[in-house]
Amino acid sequence: MAAPEVAAPLSIAHLTVDYGERRAVTDLSLEVRAGEIYGLLGSNGAGKSSTIKSVVGLVQPSAGSIHVFGADAIGDGLTAKARLGYVPETALLYEALTPREFLEFVAGVRRLPPAVATERLRTYATAFGLESELEEPIATLSNGTRQKVLVLAAFLHAPRLLVLDEPLNSLDPRSVRLVKELLLRFARTAGKGILLSTHTMEIAEELCDRVGILDEGELRAEGTLAELRSRAAQGDATLEEVFLRLTHQDEGLREAIASFDGA
Amino acid sequence: MGWREAARLADVAYAEVALQATYAFRQGNPVPARDGRELAVRARHRIAQSKALIGVLLSILALGAAALLAAGPALQADLVPVPLAGGLFRTGVLSGLFGLELALLWWTGIQAIPTFVSSLAIAVLEPLPVDRPTLRQTAFLLFLRLFDVPVAVVLVLTPLGVGLALGPVAGLATVPGAFAVVGFALALALVTGRSFVRRVQGSRGGGGGTIVRWAYLIAWLLPAFGLLAFVTVSPPLFRGLATLPSAPFATAAVVVAAFPFCLASWPTLAAGGPSSLGLMPGLADVAVLAGGAFVALAGMATVWLFGATVTAGRVPGARPAPGPRGSQQLRPQWPAWAVLTKDLRLASRTPGYAFLILLPILDAVALGFTTYAAAPSAPLARGVALGAVSSGALLATFFGPAFFALEVVAQSYGRTLPLAPRAMAVGKVTLVAAIYLAAGGIVLGLAALRFGDVALFGAFVLAELPAVVAAGLLELGILFWWSRRRGLPVTTLYASSWNIALVALPGIAVALVPLATFLALGLVGMALAALAELGLIAPYALGRGAP
Repeated sequence: MAAPEVAAPLSIAHLTVDYGERRAVTDLSLEVRAGEIYGLLGSNGAGKSSTIKSVVGLVQPSAGSIHVFGADAIGDGLTAKARLGYVPETALLYEALTPREFLEFVAGVRRLPPAVATERLRTYATAFGLESELEEPIATLSNGTRQKVLVLAAFLHAPRLLVLDEPLNSLDPRSVRLVKELLLRFARTAGKGILLSTHTMEIAEELCDRVGILDEGELRAEGTLAELRSRAAQGDATLEEVFLRLTHQDEGLREAIASFDGA
Repeated sequence: MGWREAARLADVAYAEVALQATYAFRQGNPVPARDGRELAVRARHRIAQSKALIGVLLSILALGAAALLAAGPALQADLVPVPLAGGLFRTGVLSGLFGLELALLWWTGIQAIPTFVSSLAIAVLEPLPVDRPTLRQTAFLLFLRLFDVPVAVVLVLTPLGVGLALGPVAGLATVPGAFAVVGFALALALVTGRSFVRRVQGSRGGGGGTIVRWAYLIAWLLPAFGLLAFVTVSPPLFRGLATLPSAPFATAAVVVAAFPFCLASWPTLAAGGPSSLGLMPGLADVAVLAGGAFVALAGMATVWLFGATVTAGRVPGARPAPGPRGSQQLRPQWPAWAVLTKDLRLASRTPGYAFLILLPILDAVALGFTTYAAAPSAPLARGVALGAVSSGALLATFFGPAFFALEVVAQSYGRTLPLAPRAMAVGKVTLVAAIYLAAGGIVLGLAALRFGDVALFGAFVLAELPAVVAAGLLELGILFWWSRRRGLPVTTLYASSWNIALVALPGIAVALVPLATFLALGLVGMALAALAELGLIAPYALGRGAP
């Protein structure tokens, strides 16, 4: 498939993902524009992680196309992977390496010059307070520290597209603030983009320029918060209320909450 | 609560240890797509099989020793190159048996204890309303269950075998020795296993730490070579024993009082009295006293184990306090080299991975020393030396795909990096070649010292090298292609023994062709065959046809 004329940071067209008999994503199309943070919202099992894993090359889609700045992520995965940074939902890393050894491996694979890699490590490790844990085996680190290592690895090569799957899970409040700031600055840098998956509405509301709502593998709605409010006919509603309305999950919610009274 | 409740809890905790030992979910391994109950049953079966295997090995040793004791003078002359009193021969055989049993039990233990610790099976029980004594009993029973079959074989079959060979009194006199072997082996296993978790799996990065970790890993593997070492050193040991009757009292007393010799002499002393050893008067008393002290020490070790297992079982791995600021210097390498460096770093903290790297090297050391111990003119010794290089080549070849399969275990992140399959293949094959060269180099060095024929051995090692590289490339090529074609992760593909065979057999065949050519056409033919194989396979694996 030919690359789009004006290469957006991320362009997904008619993506379908199957796991054997089960269809996780159905005919999904979306675009992350330059300078934008695009939030992918959905309940557990809605297809967010399958979409993200297809973009970063962990899952082979059944159909559709994915382009990262014009590079075909399915056919020419190496070019696409070189342009993106990824923070997975679960911090499964090389447990027996130390963060410094892990980052050295990542920097090697990404062919970073030693001076550049070292400078970036110093900057981010100092900001996240990781200096004293760089030589401890990852297996001995807390979940939050592992998540910081993953964030650091994603930024190490100054990517053009960031793909983040629940990136703020396990982080302490200070680190959450730091990552949010990093993401906002990153997105405002010319030509870059972020795809952010979350089921925390407050995060999406605070960070995302546009939001796509996934439900049972299909894109139910897409737009800015104002556009979604208007679509859900809820003028001053929060994103959570809009989300529940658009995915029809508000039905029976009051009854479910009321059932706790007898518990 | 008490022992009954402890036994019930230990059974539940054992299921968790078995599951972690087999599938290592806590290390991040993906959960196989099977019913949870089926996985648990399968895990128990695998652990039972492992224990049964060790049990069979120990049974063979115990029954073999019993056969030697029963044959007595009929075989003694063939086995021992010097005249030796019957009592000393029997004590020597039993000492060897006790030593080997200790090595095997210890080896089993130091493999099991990191899993025992990392499974958190005891830590999970702590928040439950279980009192301290029951928790301690549970941990102790759980620990014993890791060794149940091997320990039962040592405690029952060893005295039984000796009893059948030398009579019931001798058999009964073997029981204290067997008990001491078990007590010491389990205590050693716990001490070294805990130390292993702390110093290896939890050690900080940096050059000094790496050397310490590799030293630990080699020590961790050494008991596995106990049998081979015993076979190699037994003739000089028996020669040494033959000099004992004429040795000064003090020197002989040190040998007689040493473990396991003192306890190994008890069956002979019990059946034949103090003179049956054929040593100076008074030395039998030394053996009895020293043996008693060792039995008491083994009893203390068992009591210590009772309290120590709960501590070991509830520590969730090593979690050191944050150390001083580490280096913030990154030295990125060329991708294939980065893969190789990462693998060596992973292996230095991962016993299973280190085992793959060290096995061919230690195999070469063991066979190399056998060669060195042989007579210089023995053609058999030359054959053993060349065989050591060949087995190093085959072992290294066999493990290549395993290095790759391990790459994908729990490291899905690695697949999101722009790492070309070619760079990955080069990194893995470089490691395979380095292992082969290390193994070959050791044999080469020892054989050169013994035979002075450096050229032959050097040429043999180098002639086989292209075939080892070609075999590694072929196996990885098959694995890549197969994984992509079937849309399955390499780990899943490589979990089946049948698939391992289908990937490894072509590689082993490639490594074997030059070795077979050497027998028919000599070194030049061997080198040409190996180069031809590399010329055929490398373009496919690394060139345009790269998977």
